[in-house]
Amino acid sequence: MSSYLVWGLILLFLIGGALFLRYRYPAGSTGRRRMKWAFWAVVILIVGLFLNYTLPSHDVVRITNTYNRLTTVSWENAWAYASPDTGTGEGTQTRDIRFIEAVHDDDSVVVFRNEDTGWVWPPYFKYDSSNLHAEASNLKSDKAAPQWVMVTYYGWRLPILSIYPNAVKVRAVDSADATVLPWVNILILTALALLVLMLRRMWLQFRERTIDPVVEDADEFLEGIDAQADAVRAQARGMAGRFKAWLDTWRAKPKG
Amino acid sequence: MIAILRLLVFAFIGLSVFYLLLGAYWRSLRRESLEKQWDAAPPEGQGQTERAAFIAKGMAAYERGLKKKLLWLVYIIPMILIVIIAYVQNYQ
Repeated sequence: MSSYLVWGLILLFLIGGALFLRYRYPAGSTGRRRMKWAFWAVVILIVGLFLNYTLPSHDVVRITNTYNRLTTVSWENAWAYASPDTGTGEGTQTRDIRFIEAVHDDDSVVVFRNEDTGWVWPPYFKYDSSNLHAEASNLKSDKAAPQWVMVTYYGWRLPILSIYPNAVKVRAVDSADATVLPWVNILILTALALLVLMLRRMWLQFRERTIDPVVEDADEFLEGIDAQADAVRAQARGMAGRFKAWLDTWRAKPKG
Repeated sequence: MIAILRLLVFAFIGLSVFYLLLGAYWRSLRRESLEKQWDAAPPEGQGQTERAAFIAKGMAAYERGLKKKLLWLVYIIPMILIVIIAYVQNYQ
């Protein structure tokens, strides 16, 4: 329950902050312009990080070990582990997780976890982690006779949070220099870009066809009111102006 | 099993929203083009009533047309994608 309270407070803080900044930096001011830049920078950063985490990446490694380890997942890193709903370790925070230890050509190491994503996010629909583990074990090799393996994975290795990228596919390759064209990423990013453009055009069409006519009507209505107000104001200005002109006649004339 | 049902329910909701939005967008484009078509060369001696009838006829043709049916791809393509991804991921 308390976590809802915390999120509620954070949300309130963000909304309050946004309202304050809106008031503090009126439209057209330098501050507002900078805020817009900052806003879009943050949005692009978040979207970029999200895609970087979620989209498949490739790594050529030599697999050195595969094993299970009883792992406790806690609130700060649960987002980077399989959801309990996938079926691996349902409803428990301490569970057996499969890991794949590997090493690059330059002896730097990398540890993958091997968990189902099931039918939950991210949409890899992976439910063959047992098979993947068997394949990875089969591809184990030592330094003397290295068997290079192309691992497809998503996620990050962040030791401070104890999170590991999730291996989704392993494939034997001939050399440590093997590369692969990331056509899945190309397809997904293209589709996303097209979707964004499409949504933008849909919005523009909606604005042109639905919002603008309403605004025009409202403008006409307001202009009607405005014209009346102007008439009243002009009349008032007429009286006040005459009075002011009369007062001015009492002022000292500028000399010279 | 619950997870896949939940996926399908959420996918259905999300795709339905997109289906409705895209449907409205295509209808709007169609109506706009019909209006422009009429306004570019309004037939002699015909007024707003005929214009409305012309647009209504065009829209009725659109509702029966191929493009309207293609809108179902909004549901079909993601479902095919799910099947393909699941197959490639797990059975190769």
